[in-house]
Amino acid sequence: MVDTTDFAPEFDAPLEYMRRTREYYLALGYDNPYRWAHYTDAPFTPLKKPLKDSTLALISTAAPYQPDKGDQGPGALYNAAAKFYTVYSGDTSQDHDTRISHIGYDRKHTTAKDSNTWFPLPLMREFAREGRFKLAARFHGAPTNRSQRVTLETDAPEILARCRQDQVDAALLVPT
Amino acid sequence: MSLVARYLERNGIPTVVMGAAKDIVEWAGVPRFLFSDFPLGNSCGKPHEPDTQRFTLDLALKVLESAIGPRTTVQSPLRWTEDGDWKNDYNNLERMPPEEVAKRRAEFDKVKQVALSQRKQAGVA
Repeated sequence: MVDTTDFAPEFDAPLEYMRRTREYYLALGYDNPYRWAHYTDAPFTPLKKPLKDSTLALISTAAPYQPDKGDQGPGALYNAAAKFYTVYSGDTSQDHDTRISHIGYDRKHTTAKDSNTWFPLPLMREFAREGRFKLAARFHGAPTNRSQRVTLETDAPEILARCRQDQVDAALLVPT
Repeated sequence: MSLVARYLERNGIPTVVMGAAKDIVEWAGVPRFLFSDFPLGNSCGKPHEPDTQRFTLDLALKVLESAIGPRTTVQSPLRWTEDGDWKNDYNNLERMPPEEVAKRRAEFDKVKQVALSQRKQAGVA
């Protein structure tokens, strides 16, 4: 393959979600724009041992299916009632029905019919069986409730505590 | 979620984020990030395509293993569609007739009320 001057169109770059969202909610008459978390630094901790010997935990923003909380299926409108407000955990040896109707995902292009696109637990079990890593005994659900203070002061410490209980060496985080 | 990654990392647990909102994750600043240029909801690959899902998880693990410092972003080479036009749709007012904007405004007012009463109930408002 050779590069030519037949460049990709301008729009075909990573979507500017912050700008798009700000403009969208302004048009909807909501003049108190969300302030996304922003830092100039970032922490870094190297792996202490090879991945194959490390216990890896899945952390997800997906919600457990709650039959009494309205439509959470594929194509469901944004469903704030399906949100959860405290960290939950699940046994990774079991299958779990997790949904994303409580999150502002792409309602037009995401079918939300295959939970493997947002909750990779089944595939992680396969990788663990193949010896790629050790799968932690539990996965953890992280609330997405618009309060960054609650995330920082309550949810993140709780997830850390649970990871430590499970002797977790590394974490894979999947936001939706 | 980026806040959780930062918190774990700072407390000794290395992390990798698999995500699709590049600007939001990088705005926060995370240690390691595998970015898939896909519609939100597909951080782990395409629906009903075990091959792209496996490829994506494998790549995330390689980022976890090989990053040499914070704010490492690797972009998956996978494409959602050939033309990338899906990016022009997401909450794009330019593609929305005024009736649609009005409908969404009404829906959003309802959602806000539900979310607020839930936050109050949960004691996080």
